[in-house]
Amino acid sequence: MKKGIWQSGLAIVAAAALVAGCGTNNSSSGSSNTSNSGNTGNTTSTSGKTIKVGLVTDTGGLNDNSFNHLAYVGMQEAQKQLPNIQTSVVQSQSESDYVPNLSHFAQNGYNLVIAVGYLMADAVQQVAKEYPKTHFLIIDDSITGIPNVASAIFQSQQAGYLAGVVAGMVQKDHLLKNINNHNTVGVIGGQEIPPVDSYIAGFQQGFHSVDPTGKVLVEYTNSFNDEAAGSQYAQNEISQGADIIFPVAGGAGIGSIKAAQSAKVYAIGVDTDQSYLAPGTVITSAIKRVDTSVFDTIKAVQDGTFKSGVNNFDLSNNGIGIAPLISGLPKSVTDAVNQAKQEILSGKIQVSATVQK
Amino acid sequence: MKALQSILLPVAASLVAIAIGAILVAALGYNPVSVYGSLISGAFGSLGNLGNTLTASLPLIIIGLGIALSFQSGLFNIGADGQYWIGATAAVWVGYHFTSLPGWLHMLLCLAAGMVAGALWAGVIPGLTKAFVGAHEVITTMMMSYIAILFARYLIEGGPMQEKGYIPQSPLIASNTQFPYFTQGFARSQLSPISMLIAALAVLVAWFLLYKTTLGFSLRSVGLNPRAAKYAGIRVKLYIIIALALSGLFAGLAGAVQMLGVDHQLLDGFSSNYGYTAIVVALLARNNPLAVVISGLFFGALTTGGQNMQIVSNVPASLTNVLTGLIIFFVGCERIIPQVIGWYRRRRSARAQTPAS
Repeated sequence: MKKGIWQSGLAIVAAAALVAGCGTNNSSSGSSNTSNSGNTGNTTSTSGKTIKVGLVTDTGGLNDNSFNHLAYVGMQEAQKQLPNIQTSVVQSQSESDYVPNLSHFAQNGYNLVIAVGYLMADAVQQVAKEYPKTHFLIIDDSITGIPNVASAIFQSQQAGYLAGVVAGMVQKDHLLKNINNHNTVGVIGGQEIPPVDSYIAGFQQGFHSVDPTGKVLVEYTNSFNDEAAGSQYAQNEISQGADIIFPVAGGAGIGSIKAAQSAKVYAIGVDTDQSYLAPGTVITSAIKRVDTSVFDTIKAVQDGTFKSGVNNFDLSNNGIGIAPLISGLPKSVTDAVNQAKQEILSGKIQVSATVQK
Repeated sequence: MKALQSILLPVAASLVAIAIGAILVAALGYNPVSVYGSLISGAFGSLGNLGNTLTASLPLIIIGLGIALSFQSGLFNIGADGQYWIGATAAVWVGYHFTSLPGWLHMLLCLAAGMVAGALWAGVIPGLTKAFVGAHEVITTMMMSYIAILFARYLIEGGPMQEKGYIPQSPLIASNTQFPYFTQGFARSQLSPISMLIAALAVLVAWFLLYKTTLGFSLRSVGLNPRAAKYAGIRVKLYIIIALALSGLFAGLAGAVQMLGVDHQLLDGFSSNYGYTAIVVALLARNNPLAVVISGLFFGALTTGGQNMQIVSNVPASLTNVLTGLIIFFVGCERIIPQVIGWYRRRRSARAQTPAS
């Protein structure tokens, strides 16, 4: 009861604060609907019929600063740019909601149901078999062998590599003020799981390609939502001389970035451009384009080119990348990043997804 | 008059909440009729939706029975959420071991494991410390609840119950322990006739135990006045332990039923909050086991309808929480209404008396 009422109270406050926001949100979706109907005449889609897309978040909810949010952004983009897209979102309150929420969309004739996150893997497999005519997309998990399920897998080690190159150059040549002589950077992982470790492995490799003698500290918070823990781990690494912190820990990482900001050192964001969290502190962000994967899959369903099984997203299809660099860095950094991109694309650099201990 | 009042007041409270919610919804630019329509149709609109509503209310009803029982014994067991999860964990553990057993025996074993785990969790530490050193059960059950949830989380996040691979979840329980679903009617929901039967039995047992046995009489006597009970020769300490253990037993049973009937495995998240909502369920039912069924269904309908509200009316999830929160608040605080009426009457009579005196 305590928690429930506490949540409801929070929700009331949040809703009051959101009054203006909701209004604009509503009007923008209204306008995009009208523009959609305006486009109906010159649609290039083969079928020309309306595509209904449903998005089911995991229990993290839409405001997770991470993949739930990005999936929603991708879906909104699709609604704006593609003709005849109808969208709907439902946030799962508990794990028991996954199956009912996924089936609800499937029952109501939605063409594509997007499940955000590996936590829904079993639910998707179960529901997809019951509704073979509905397309499903799952983010961050590889489900294979079901003809109506596509999985989006991200080669985030490539994004980590590029961020590592930036960190290495800043560290080696003291390109920003307050960079010390310890030649050390710190990584904070949420958990030792492949979606996290691939970032870290790429970061290590990229950093050492520029600065082979530099030191990369790696620690795990074992939590994706404990901001205090994220901050503590960052302070610990900073006290060991690290002056660039790269958290790969969801919400806990926000605490790490704030700790870096108050210690006047630097940070690298993850998943999405996190420079808004601490302008002047975040050098760049290693980005996973969940929004692109959602957009592309919606388009594929509309064009009739839906591909089941694992869909890889990497540098070659802009599925991963890094955010614009902090101002004040010389052009040599941008050049080095571009060169690394080319070498990854050409296959000259193979980025490993295994963390070096 | 009193019986009529006890029915009319919650209904009036709900209507006030619905009216305030309608004003709020309209102010945010949504149509209140369609929003409430989607809430109701989502909860009762089709057999599938009705099935989802029943599925969502079963754990609330079963936990609510245990909480009502502890409240009647004068004990505030607010740690039912932890007892629920420890019961669920035990049931899942038994569920994927001993796979050579016949299905019905295996099911019974899972249910028994869940009940025993829940009963021990509430009975041993909170029960013994309350009975012998007077530690307040609000503190101890609450703390034990955190321990239970964090322990269950550890077990599947790298602990011994984690399934092979990196996803933090337990293996699935053996397929012959999973409750069968309806093949007609409620098909397409996760409602199982066995879960319904267990819930119905639990209601009858709780009612019979409280009102038709000497054990129930002793428990209620302890709840009404422990000193008088002691004077009457009732062993108060023993009944305190029994009351908390029974309360935990129901919560553990709910966890086991939910795992066998719906989830089939432990998933990361632990955010259902059934144990907290069930406190409101018990309060609204005035701790009467038969009324717990009705208030449990009411809250189950709010959950299921709330999800549908998001999907159909595109209301943001936070607004859904506000509306359900308002209803919970007013229904929970229905005793405010008679007080307001009483205050108004006193004021009027005071005014009427002033010129006379």
